[in-house]
Amino acid sequence: MRYNEKELRALSQQPAEMAAELSMRGPKKGSVAKRRLVKLVVNFLFYFRTDEAEPLGALLLERCRVAQEEPGGFSISFIEDPERKYYFECCTQEQCQEWMEALRRASYEYMRRSLIFYRNEIQKMTGKDPLEQYGISEEARFQLSNLPRDGRAAFVGPWLDELD
Amino acid sequence: MKLNKRSVAHYALSDSPADHMGFLRTWGAPGTPPTPSGTGRRCWFVLKGNLLFSFESREARAPLSLVVLEGCTVELAEAPVPEEFAFAIRFNAPGVRPHLLAADGQAAQEAWVKALSRASFGYMRLVVRELESQLHDARRSLALHRSMSQKVGASRPKSQASDHRSSGLENGHFLPRDCSPVGAGEGGGCRPGARDLPEWELQGPTSLLLGRGQSPVSPETSCFSTLHDWYGQEIVQLRQEWQQRDRGNQAGCKRQDEP
Repeated sequence: MRYNEKELRALSQQPAEMAAELSMRGPKKGSVAKRRLVKLVVNFLFYFRTDEAEPLGALLLERCRVAQEEPGGFSISFIEDPERKYYFECCTQEQCQEWMEALRRASYEYMRRSLIFYRNEIQKMTGKDPLEQYGISEEARFQLSNLPRDGRAAFVGPWLDELD
Repeated sequence: MKLNKRSVAHYALSDSPADHMGFLRTWGAPGTPPTPSGTGRRCWFVLKGNLLFSFESREARAPLSLVVLEGCTVELAEAPVPEEFAFAIRFNAPGVRPHLLAADGQAAQEAWVKALSRASFGYMRLVVRELESQLHDARRSLALHRSMSQKVGASRPKSQASDHRSSGLENGHFLPRDCSPVGAGEGGGCRPGARDLPEWELQGPTSLLLGRGQSPVSPETSCFSTLHDWYGQEIVQLRQEWQQRDRGNQAGCKRQDEP
């Protein structure tokens, strides 16, 4: 799969939602933790050598799992190979929580499910489709029927707790 | 630069919904700067979220190329082959050449341009935040209506509440349809989203909220008491206004609704 590195590099220079120097270790056996500048830009996590403008790499944060590791640390793994983890170490547990929270929300699919949830709830309460007034109710990306079934079920529970 | 390509390819083929798909003609090898000459190459394209993938064929199991649709614009373009309906994805970055693509009909061209130009994460986030605040308003006004009708039996404050809210929305709070923004009016002043207006106007929705340390869905949601206080301020203020108006209208009447 090819992609234009210049386009990704340009994205990595965009303002970040979160950025910090963290200790990072890749999934390869025997890899050593190194100090990296880690930047969250939309649904990509970029990592840089601390003295370079060019990113070393990027992780697309779709279909990933963010998990707490030993205190002050977290890991990111991807659904197709959950044992392959990228480890990050923060300065404080608080910083760690902040990163985990931001990373969990940093996926397009998460945003899509949130949107469909809100749309449904509003429709239930008011009897009106909130997207209609903007003329975007037909857009494919906002349709409930396009969601895979497990995603629908898994989604609703935790959100109700948060909102009520 | 490394990329977690296996996961990206896995996402491309996953059961999460595709936002648009179809055959398009493309010029130049996928992922490399296109050379717009000849008839190009027909590939199967799939748009998922803010990612545009191309495949050798509809059944292919490995994507040929990936374009991340952030910081780009999509516009109609001239195709090297006259009968094609072309458009280009242009990046606002030095040395990045546009991707030239072409559909085989005008309707397909329009649908692609529309889908691609709304593919950014920022657009999705904008709609989510808007609905999030609408839902919250709906819940607050329902709760308020209940408590008001218990105390006063008044339907009037409620109708004022919804007037107030809709004027806030129309004041450029949410601009999905490329209409020119209207300045922040009195209606939106106390809503959290409305405070963002001046920057929205300058930057457009794509860059909206980036780089402000805000999480994608508004951070207030994660802590209900914060959210409650935040919206509570607006409600308290609104109630005071209605009460003042009521008192004004009914001078001489007893004060009937202390908060």
